[in-house]
Amino acid sequence: MFESIAETISKLSFLLSRLCLWISSIGIVAITAIIFWQVIARYIFNASPSWSEQLALYLLVWTVLFAAAAGVREQFHIHITVFQNGLNKTRLPTIIFTHLVTASAGLTLAIYGTKLVSRLWQYPIPSLGLPRGSAFLPLPLAGALICFFAIEHIIANSRNEKVIPAWR
Amino acid sequence: NSNQPALIAADALSADYPTVAALTFMTDRLREKTDGRIKTEIYSGAQLGAERDTLEISMFGGIDFNRVNLAPLNPIAKSTIVPSLPFVFRSIPHMRAAMDGAPGQKILASLAEHDLIGLCFYDSGARSFYNTIKPIRTPDDLKGMKIRVQNSNLYVAMVEALGANATPMSFSEVYQSLVQGVIDGAENNWPSYENTRHFEAARYYSLTQHLMTPEILVMSARRWKMMSDNDRELVMESARESVPFMRQIWDARVNSAMEVVKKSGVEIIETIDKDPFIKCMQPVYDRFLTPNLRELMEEIQDMESADV
Amino acid sequence: MALTLLLLALAIFLVAGVPISFALLSASVLTLVYLDIAPVIAVQQLAAGINVFSLMAIPFFIFAGDLMYRSGIAEKLLQVADAALGRLQGGLGQVDVGASMLFGAVSGSSIASVSALGSSLMPAMQEKGYDKDYAVNVTCCAAILGVIIPPSHNMIIYAASSGLGISIGDLFLAGIFPGIIAGIALAITAWIIARKRNYPKGVFPGWPAFLKASIIALPGLFTAVIIVVGILGGVFTPTESSAVAIVYTLIVAAFVYRTLTPTTFALACRGAVQTTAIVMMIIGSAAVFGWLLALLHAPTQLAQLVMSISDNPTLVMLMVILVLLILGTFMDMAPLIIITTPIFLPMMMELGVDPVHFGIVLILTLGIGLVTPPVGSVLFVGAAIGDIKIEETVKTIWPFYLALIAALLLTAYIPSLTLFLPSVFQ
Ligand code: NA
Ligand code: NA
Repeated sequence: MFESIAETISKLSFLLSRLCLWISSIGIVAITAIIFWQVIARYIFNASPSWSEQLALYLLVWTVLFAAAAGVREQFHIHITVFQNGLNKTRLPTIIFTHLVTASAGLTLAIYGTKLVSRLWQYPIPSLGLPRGSAFLPLPLAGALICFFAIEHIIANSRNEKVIPAWR
Repeated sequence: NSNQPALIAADALSADYPTVAALTFMTDRLREKTDGRIKTEIYSGAQLGAERDTLEISMFGGIDFNRVNLAPLNPIAKSTIVPSLPFVFRSIPHMRAAMDGAPGQKILASLAEHDLIGLCFYDSGARSFYNTIKPIRTPDDLKGMKIRVQNSNLYVAMVEALGANATPMSFSEVYQSLVQGVIDGAENNWPSYENTRHFEAARYYSLTQHLMTPEILVMSARRWKMMSDNDRELVMESARESVPFMRQIWDARVNSAMEVVKKSGVEIIETIDKDPFIKCMQPVYDRFLTPNLRELMEEIQDMESADV
Repeated sequence: MALTLLLLALAIFLVAGVPISFALLSASVLTLVYLDIAPVIAVQQLAAGINVFSLMAIPFFIFAGDLMYRSGIAEKLLQVADAALGRLQGGLGQVDVGASMLFGAVSGSSIASVSALGSSLMPAMQEKGYDKDYAVNVTCCAAILGVIIPPSHNMIIYAASSGLGISIGDLFLAGIFPGIIAGIALAITAWIIARKRNYPKGVFPGWPAFLKASIIALPGLFTAVIIVVGILGGVFTPTESSAVAIVYTLIVAAFVYRTLTPTTFALACRGAVQTTAIVMMIIGSAAVFGWLLALLHAPTQLAQLVMSISDNPTLVMLMVILVLLILGTFMDMAPLIIITTPIFLPMMMELGVDPVHFGIVLILTLGIGLVTPPVGSVLFVGAAIGDIKIEETVKTIWPFYLALIAALLLTAYIPSLTLFLPSVFQ
């Protein structure tokens, strides 16, 4: 029973991590295209579009947050391991503690991000016409993913296993 | 009770700016009136974030007093669009009378449904165009110029209606862009034109005075709800008292900025016929004014006694 | 009490091995809860910290640099540099110092400089036998000189925060000599370390071969020309130049060198979003942390401490530098300039220090803060791109810190280094 749940979790997380990579990659390409268009537009039409800068920033938050969530799973975030490595008996509990802290940060983003999104949904972002709340939408989504990925690591660690990287 | 933590006040402008002085005056009065019970710490210079951010934090009750420009409030409370429109006010005295009077009260009251309590309006002077190329006297002179505007549909529409090319750009990139020719000009009031040193780069300042949008002081509804009726009245009173104080130092600030700029040899175009500029503004009014807002604008423009 | 909680929680999380970004975020959330302030601020400030237009140059330059590396453009550029300076031991270190300084100067952003050069130059240097930590240390330390070599938007922020109407032209001129001195100090340090580690000494291939390598590298070299001429000539802003650089690199890789494949493009995307996520998450979390530091008056408290200790100008200058170094370790540059200028400048002027001189000292000191942990965004970008642990870079970066601090002390105590050029042009 527990085995199959763990297996399902790891399959799901593999797919989610891949999905994050796709979202972020499309995001960075789109942002580049938008800002390049801003330069071209200024010289061809002699005017900068008023939406380009805002839209690029809007997409940047999505790009960063989803890649950052995957970073929890793929463990590419910068952390200091020198003290951890010096530990012996308490090394595993320490590692689990770090994942717990990360999971709680993700949970905070998920809970309070949802609050922010729902409270600010009714207001528009002037130059885009999109709801202001949607600018914060990647935060609760990525927060939930961060929490999920951190828990996956806790499970894997306590079973003496490793999470298989999805960003290869 | 005197041990309760200080309230938090945020202002994005630097510590020596008149709005911060007014905020200091207001919170000092509040402390005196309550015998030291209600203390406030002031965070100037955007220490707690840009205006849009502090405003949102205030809506959630994380900041108690917040002085902001009207622009970040435009998408939140529609009524704030009216005093943000070009050529709504004929003069600074007209603007002051309107904001002190019934129209201003209506706007302050409209904030309540957005978890904000509107306290009072402060001056922000009149914004005029400056550029690196030539004196601007008519809308025709603006044709084809690349003018930096604040990133808002309203200001983009305004500059485009005048025939110039609007270039929305973050404030920190403006000086460099003027020097290197990415843009030809921008627009701002006397103190900002001087303080940002943009007058070093853009040597023509044309007093078009197209915008006289005031600043606003708001309070978080969360804190307001925690206060007694008596304390609320004291807050309102202190805010009202800070307005004439603010105007006095604002005027002094404008004069000193004017002196610095004039001394540096900038060409200042003082007499400008505003009518051709106002004529260009019709599409802007049509786009941004709902029937309700148009009513408010007419109410402001029908105020007669205020003219100098 | 709240400040202690904030710093202690951060220290514990960092030592335990929590990723830096989540350590900053979690310590901040704990403190917000303790202060009974809505934790929603943490989420809001995290987004606001990422939502800065000038920061967009980071992902762009990382992307462009990664593309240049994967499509072989960087390799071809390096061959030219190697041929030119090859006879000098560790010549590529010198190339790195020069290129990073120049790039930081023109783009006005140290992070952008590390992003661009780090992702193109560092991997190529490693292939030539240079250690990872060396490449990261040299690139990061040289890149921060961009903050005082004009043009520099930090000086505009300083001038505005001073409220004195300091001429930006004067500040730009004043930064030139200190920038050059610091650059020379770094170059010497890089050379000494290269000799000690016995880095390769190339052979000059002879003029015909050198010329041929240069011609082959010409389209790649042109990227730099586009950026420099484009920014200085007013065609686009530094942030925009980074997007233009990506598109130009794509065109060169696809049509000139024909090295662009769907796989290289996908790999470059992955590399770019990975590094961007690491760095921007730290910057965003640091914004939350910085919000709390400002709320708890940490900068003001430290400043008051300094002012209460002494009124000897030499000593006060030294202490101000120390305080700025400490603050620079935790907070980012722009907010620190805005907060500390009105605190320190009046005091320094009372002691007879020229505001232009002090501005350069302040900005250079805070610039050094960009490469010092725990919050040193430039060092983080470098380490992320160089694929190396922070603690490994810090172990070997100290000679470069010493070089920077020597240059800083010269700048602080010899006013004519800053004030000479502005006086000539007056
Ligand atoms: Na620079
Ligand atoms: Na630092």
